[in-house]
Amino acid sequence: MRTSRMLALGASLLALIGACGMGGGATPTAQVNIRIGSAGFYESALMAEIYAQVLEARGYTVTRNLQIGPRDTTLPAIERGDFDLMPEYIGSLLEFVNQSAGEATADSAQTHDRLQARLDGRGLTVLGYTPAQDKNTLVVRGDTAAELSLSRASDLAAVQAELVWGLPAECETNPLCGGVLRDVYGIDYDQIRLIELDACGAEIATALNGGAVDIGQLCSTQPDIARFGFVVLEDDRNTQPAENIAPIVRDDFLAQVGGADALAAILDPVSQAMTTDELTALNVRVGIEQEEFATVARDWLTEKGILPEGP
Amino acid sequence: MSELIGWLLDPANWSGRDAIPVRLAEHVLLSGGALAIGLALALPLALYIGHTGRGAFVAINLANLGRAVPSYALLVILFGVFATSARDPLVFTNGPTLLAMVALAVPPIVTNAYTGLRDVDRDVVEAARGVGMGGWQVLRRVELPLAMPVIMAGLRIATVQVIATAALGAIIGGGGLGRYIIQGIARFDNPRLVAGALMIALLAIGADLLLGWLQRRLAVGSRAGEPGEPHGLPISLPTESRRA
Repeated sequence: MRTSRMLALGASLLALIGACGMGGGATPTAQVNIRIGSAGFYESALMAEIYAQVLEARGYTVTRNLQIGPRDTTLPAIERGDFDLMPEYIGSLLEFVNQSAGEATADSAQTHDRLQARLDGRGLTVLGYTPAQDKNTLVVRGDTAAELSLSRASDLAAVQAELVWGLPAECETNPLCGGVLRDVYGIDYDQIRLIELDACGAEIATALNGGAVDIGQLCSTQPDIARFGFVVLEDDRNTQPAENIAPIVRDDFLAQVGGADALAAILDPVSQAMTTDELTALNVRVGIEQEEFATVARDWLTEKGILPEGP
Repeated sequence: MSELIGWLLDPANWSGRDAIPVRLAEHVLLSGGALAIGLALALPLALYIGHTGRGAFVAINLANLGRAVPSYALLVILFGVFATSARDPLVFTNGPTLLAMVALAVPPIVTNAYTGLRDVDRDVVEAARGVGMGGWQVLRRVELPLAMPVIMAGLRIATVQVIATAALGAIIGGGGLGRYIIQGIARFDNPRLVAGALMIALLAIGADLLLGWLQRRLAVGSRAGEPGEPHGLPISLPTESRRA
């Protein structure tokens, strides 16, 4: 064969191999820009970074806008078009958009469907969710659990007067917190010794560990639980709504890439690989050890085989 | 406005853990306690450096640290210390607030007491020594009475600052009127939020007026109504001395 034809054959073979090399899902032929946002706390930023790296590997150009703020900032921002995608918690988001109508349940699939129904009128789509959930949980120190034989929330009614409770200021009027404690778990909210501290924060974890409060409200993937050896009290009456994580995306962005299925094909497998234990372990790295989101995200993605190893 | 009145009149807000009298009493205790401790620390120090003129540079700059360090930062740091060492929940949520407020109270008291004493007419002090008064007597019978308006002005500043800033304690779970602000924000309860802020403001203004009355009562002799009497200024102009 003459050199020029060999070269031409070689070039076309390379192009063919290159085109087949990518995995399933839409590879944008033209350059597609996606802007990804997240809520203020590190867990949300980490999930956003994970989604960002996967999309980059699939040929998207990603602009990150992480750690923006609380939901009442981020949701209007995505609806305005400030960015295209962000990770969200299906139960809390549902109750936020339906103004606490009480539609979220402990059933993840049901909550997810109801969320999509609510998002339909707002130009947003929610994609597949993680097995991991990050719910508000009641925790006690290990010694308290042993001493008072506490393992479930229902065990608390009998010993409520012996504990100093650390609950957020909004718990009093929140049906999922104060309401549940009063009506389901038999806690006399007005009589318990109460210190008001925000849930999931460093303050409540410090206060609980130091012995100044005996029971506190933390987030289930919060690294302080393992770090201080706290015991999580099981929500045995299933009062808390499902809080799986899923990306929400603007519909007009989805139109650019050929619909929700195209993006779901890329991101759903990633979400499905994230369990509660995995997320908690990652939170130790970003929350306690203060490692970079990009490093931790990359390590997890390569470990799961979603991204190839190497530079 | 009507919602605010409604909140203030609601009997639910006058009983229980969050009752208005309870939170008000807590706020008064926190502020009053901080001011008392602040006075006990600041006044002897300021009287010494004001009377002798020695060590002023170090003392004033040390005192001003209380102003320079943001109260909120101090609160969070102290919270970490207290939460691991103090078992009693009331101590660990209010102790940091008390200490942070003491730090806030000290600088205006020190600065004003020192300035007030230094501004006393040297001729009067010399005259006092000339008639045989010892240092302690000069301080007690001459310098202090003449410096009193400025000292009181410093106390008034400290009082208003402490009452207003004590609201921060609520952020770490402490008591006082600041609790209403935190709860109002967390529960989207605007009347609660405004009521809390309003009560703090009224308490501060009331305390300031009370101290102003006290200031006039403590003014030397019958100087009340004389032109040039300072009112609430951090630094007064040198006052006219009265020959004995």
